[in-house]
Amino acid sequence: MPEQKITLTIDDDGAITATTSGFKGESCLEALDELLNLEGVVSCVKKTDEYHQQQTLQTARVQSLRGKS
Amino acid sequence: MSAVIKTATPFVIEEVLMEALTAVGAEPRRVSSSDVDLVQRNRLQIGDILTNRSDYNGRQLFRFELDRWVMMHDSDEYAGRTVDRFSEKGYIKVSRFLTDVSGAYESAYGMYLEKLAEQERIRLEEERKARVETTRQQAIAKAKAQGYSVKETTNSKGQIQLVLTRMV
Repeated sequence: MPEQKITLTIDDDGAITATTSGFKGESCLEALDELLNLEGVVSCVKKTDEYHQQQTLQTARVQSLRGKS
Repeated sequence: MSAVIKTATPFVIEEVLMEALTAVGAEPRRVSSSDVDLVQRNRLQIGDILTNRSDYNGRQLFRFELDRWVMMHDSDEYAGRTVDRFSEKGYIKVSRFLTDVSGAYESAYGMYLEKLAEQERIRLEEERKARVETTRQQAIAKAKAQGYSVKETTNSKGQIQLVLTRMV
């Protein structure tokens, strides 16, 4: 069973920095949005290598599915 | 004859004036309802600040008029004396007295500003702590509601770190 992990760091002004692992592609942002109501309050999103790897994996999977049909 | 003197330093803040008058040994005291019947030519009003200085008109006092405290006394300073508990302290002329009070007022005003700045700093610090605590509590509550287990630590900068994990 895969583990999803979010690390929230609350700085001295109450601002939150979040890093995630175990999520696939955009689902990490969705999970953070659910958790923190991000709409309009995100100042910066840095996508990690893992994010891009998962995206590539997903795209490849979609392409292979399309190839089958 | 009575007189009202306007000083170069406007005595605007009562708390600061009280400090200044205390510093120059004038033993200031606010006039309360029990004092207004005190008989003297300078009719007392509730809120006046009495000094330990006296003249023909009675106790010399400060009264708030328009936007500042002004000193009221007999212009000739006839029968000027102090009613100080410490008898060695002699009466000094009003002009000299006001110069002393002005100097003391400036010092007290500086301390007053420092006190305000300190109060503001404390207020902002408390607001900041409350903001961090609210953020922390909201994040923990939401995480638990969404099935995460929460582990709380602090990082090397002393910031709160919440590690949320769940199995999917």
